[in-house]
Amino acid sequence: MVRLITHNLLACHVKGCTSNNFPLALKDIQIELREAEFNPEFITNILPRLEWHALADAARQVGDTSLPPEQPEMMDDDLLRNLHHVLLEIHIVEGAMTCPNCKHIYPILNGIPNMLLAEHEIG
Amino acid sequence: MKSVASTVVDDDDPQAYEDQHVHAVYDHIAPHFSSTRYKPWPIIAAFLNSLPTGWIGLDSGTGNGKYLPFPTERPGSVLTIGMDRSWNLLQIAKHAGSRPGLSTTREVVRGDVLANGWRDGVFDYAISIATIHHLASHQRRKLAVQRLLQCVSPAHGRVLIYVWAVEQDDLSKRSVPISEGDGSSGQDVFVPWVMSQQTTMRNKTHQPVAETASTQDDARPADVSVYNRYYHMFAKGELTKLVKEAAERMGLIVGPLTANVTNKLGCDVIRDGWERSNYYIELRRWTS
Repeated sequence: MVRLITHNLLACHVKGCTSNNFPLALKDIQIELREAEFNPEFITNILPRLEWHALADAARQVGDTSLPPEQPEMMDDDLLRNLHHVLLEIHIVEGAMTCPNCKHIYPILNGIPNMLLAEHEIG
Repeated sequence: MKSVASTVVDDDDPQAYEDQHVHAVYDHIAPHFSSTRYKPWPIIAAFLNSLPTGWIGLDSGTGNGKYLPFPTERPGSVLTIGMDRSWNLLQIAKHAGSRPGLSTTREVVRGDVLANGWRDGVFDYAISIATIHHLASHQRRKLAVQRLLQCVSPAHGRVLIYVWAVEQDDLSKRSVPISEGDGSSGQDVFVPWVMSQQTTMRNKTHQPVAETASTQDDARPADVSVYNRYYHMFAKGELTKLVKEAAERMGLIVGPLTANVTNKLGCDVIRDGWERSNYYIELRRWTS
């Protein structure tokens, strides 16, 4: 499955596409919500690995507006729960991700993003 | 006993060679293959059990996703993302660790171990288990190691690699041909995967490279299909040498971080060795 936590790590890797290649724009997305066990320590510890603006934007693109546009300095329990929901409970089932730079389209089918490129597109 | 046959890789197009002798085969044998791959290897389990809460990692060549549920004692404390080329194996990996009454979904991505597709250094750890030995040239195997080193944090990233060894366990079900040459560069072989017609019929995907049993081995019953998978079996010392070449290609110092080094990037070999017919190496990146 692909959730927004994974989307936050992916970047376009078409040959020569090395700047403005993140985050991939979500298009024609279908989502499913599935409850996951809340682990506040996990959420707290992964935060430094994430790009907040990309995450908040991606959440808005799938209809969740619970994250503030700027990362707050203090994390309270409500915010950790909102992050938990955005990162781990929203599953993208179908759709596509488009590179903001080269416009390459990475399809998502049956919950699996396809990052394979043709041989001549690999840098 | 399964027999292993020597093969010669088509040097002109290793990608096409892998497409035919690795990717097409795994897509076809996926469900049967997965049903035989459930026992974790101890060193890999120990590695995954040792990860701090909140770490994110990549399993490059995840296959059926056997390692995605780890650490089993602390479920959900780390997140391992599984990547593979085989669409049919990913369909299985997506639900790795599920059992009746407990449906679990895993993060899986279709991708190539030689490509990138991630923000540089974004992972805390990366594992590549029984994958790099399917690449059909030394250059491609080296590039696969570079991709692993590149995707983990330059400050603390940990990497674990397993590949098949020429030196096989006495308990292994396979017999291996005697190595030719000086034995330092490993051996290219075909490893047969044998499926009964009944298993094959249930699998609706296109049949790639099955040969009928009668042309392979007259002793086998006629309703058996044989799929040959390409492997590069690693010689003693070859994996560690490959990793050092890959690290140096990236400008990394290979060895422990020492006090007198400043403004350098490096990669320390934590352990390397042989376990159950495989060579392994564990690495940790450092920045001074």
